[in-house]
Amino acid sequence: MTSAAPALSAHELTKVIGRRTIVDRVSFDLFPGEVFGFLGPNGAGKTTTIRMLVGLIRPTEGAVTICGHDIRHQFEEAMRCVGCIVETPDLYRFMTGRENLEHFARMLGVKSSETDRVADRVGMLHRLDQRVGTYSLGMRQRLGIAQALLGRPRVMILDEPANGLDPAGIREMRELIRGLAADGMSIFVSSHLLAEIELMCDRVAIIHHGQILRAGTVRNLIASQRAMEFHVGDVDRAGSVFTQRGVAFEKDHDRLFAAIDEADAAPLIAELVRNDVEVFSARPRLQTLEEMFLDATGGESVD
Amino acid sequence: MLNLIHNETLKLLRRRRFAVVIGILVAILAIVSYGQYRQLKNQVNRNWRADTQQRIAHFENNLRRANTNASWARSLRAEINRLQFYLDHDIEPNKPTAPMFVRGFANVAGFLLLPLLVSVLGSDIVSAEHAEGTDKLLMTRPVRRWKILTSKLATLWIFSTLTLFSGGVLAFVISSPFLPARGWAAPTFSGFATTGTFRPELVRQLPLWKDALIAYGLEWYALLTVASIALLLSVVFRSSAGAIGTMLASLIAGTILTRLSPDWTAAKYLFVSALPLADYYTGEPPPYDGMTMAFCITLLGVWAIAAIIAAYAIFTRKDVFG
Ligand SMILES: Nc1ncnc2c1ncn2[C@@H]1O[C@H](COP(=O)(O)OP(=O)(O)OP(=O)(O)O)[C@@H](O)[C@H]1O
Ligand SMILES: [Mg+2]
Repeated sequence: MTSAAPALSAHELTKVIGRRTIVDRVSFDLFPGEVFGFLGPNGAGKTTTIRMLVGLIRPTEGAVTICGHDIRHQFEEAMRCVGCIVETPDLYRFMTGRENLEHFARMLGVKSSETDRVADRVGMLHRLDQRVGTYSLGMRQRLGIAQALLGRPRVMILDEPANGLDPAGIREMRELIRGLAADGMSIFVSSHLLAEIELMCDRVAIIHHGQILRAGTVRNLIASQRAMEFHVGDVDRAGSVFTQRGVAFEKDHDRLFAAIDEADAAPLIAELVRNDVEVFSARPRLQTLEEMFLDATGGESVD
Repeated sequence: MLNLIHNETLKLLRRRRFAVVIGILVAILAIVSYGQYRQLKNQVNRNWRADTQQRIAHFENNLRRANTNASWARSLRAEINRLQFYLDHDIEPNKPTAPMFVRGFANVAGFLLLPLLVSVLGSDIVSAEHAEGTDKLLMTRPVRRWKILTSKLATLWIFSTLTLFSGGVLAFVISSPFLPARGWAAPTFSGFATTGTFRPELVRQLPLWKDALIAYGLEWYALLTVASIALLLSVVFRSSAGAIGTMLASLIAGTILTRLSPDWTAAKYLFVSALPLADYYTGEPPPYDGMTMAFCITLLGVWAIAAIIAAYAIFTRKDVFG
């Protein structure tokens, strides 16, 4: 996958407002057919980064390339490859869904029959002739995605698409996004909902205070956080055994956690047993993305 | 570009701005033409010569009072000259007819009503996109920002033109049940002296329809300037209330300024001073010396171009935050 040219690439994006650095040297590549998660707490700089990706604000430093076009110098060519929702799916409330889609179809110069195709893709055909002002948030999200699909872009940028949706809506949104990726589209999704990112993304980057703290595939990120959990009778004695063998650990009630592989656990258990420590269980503990996220961000939000 | 103008037109109509403008025009014209109708009824058994002489006498009395300020005195003198000219040539001035009413509309509405209606149309053409959050979609489509702004300016100009045109047509349609509908060929006089001294060689006599076309042409030019300034205000302000408010304030302030402090002559460089082009054309003296027609037209042109340049500079560069 990484051998293909990236559909979108951000290079050292930085935004300084006044004295505050809101986004700090953020770089990443988005490859064809992948869903890339951009994870961060409120105020981390996700929306600001997205605004720079689509040319709404000018980066203080850095550049964005979409489908090989620099958005500064080849804005029209670059934007022809992108569909996006920034922050909230705002469309013209005083017009119907169809009129909204036709409005943006005219901007792209695509046929107005495209509106039916994209509306169908998000399951909105039946409400298309009602005013957007009467839509629920979930429907506006879907209409926003329909709009973004006009002109068959190769890249889709969605800012918190699950925001404000009910569980069924979130699930539909996830299936829709995975479906689009299966069609070969590259999708950039920002979220502070870990469960979402974990379920639908191939790769994630964790952003905090405007900086990317970690990035990688979801599996690798989780795997890098592997630990063994020991449930023992006497934690103090077990602790001294660990110390003798030079294994770092953490104590929590009647459990010990050590950052070791499963394979290295067996001799340790044997040693514990030799020292008359009861071992009730020993199991690998996969840290969820959530734990890792809290770990990486220190569990605080900015705002 | 046609697609973009199509979009902007659709949005403007859907926001019902133009409907509001037409509604206001109809309401005001209906009231005023009824007033004209009453005037006509009263005049039937009157002698217009005696009337006109009485008005001249009245103005001369005013003029003799010590406390008339300079600009007021100047306009009184011009008015007296005008009326005297009608008397000398045995032409009844301001005889209410529908064509006269249409012609008068350009003058009367030119300095406040029409500019205001145009700013109602223009003030939210950009700011509403920001208020509704749709600017971030509009500006992430593969269309450069200057093209988007151009389509908005073009749409605004089109609708300013339509507003003026509808004003003229409505003035005729609404007044014709009340007033005589004939009289397009009636002679009119324009180019009365603007300096207080009457110079008959400057007077031009034209048929009313020709005179009206010139007045509407001048008014159209003034409105395009107002529209350009409204576009700038709409780019600068985040809400349409701020944009309309500023335009309203500057129109009214300009009017008050010329009445209250005629000595502060730098005020002649304000666009509001040059706005009543149709008035100046008819012979209403401009409030400051040196305001020739050429000066006014140039001044408005400079204001329009400056406003457009500023609007483009801001709009194409600004960071779009939520
Ligand atoms: N125009 C601005 N001027 C100054 N600071 C700003 C501006 N816009 C955003 N910020 C600040 O930048 C930081 C990042 O904001 P941003 O909207 O990018 O966060 P986010 O990650 O999208 O958060 P959320 O999850 O709440 O949407 C915030 O602390 C915010 O206060
Ligand atoms: Mg955000």
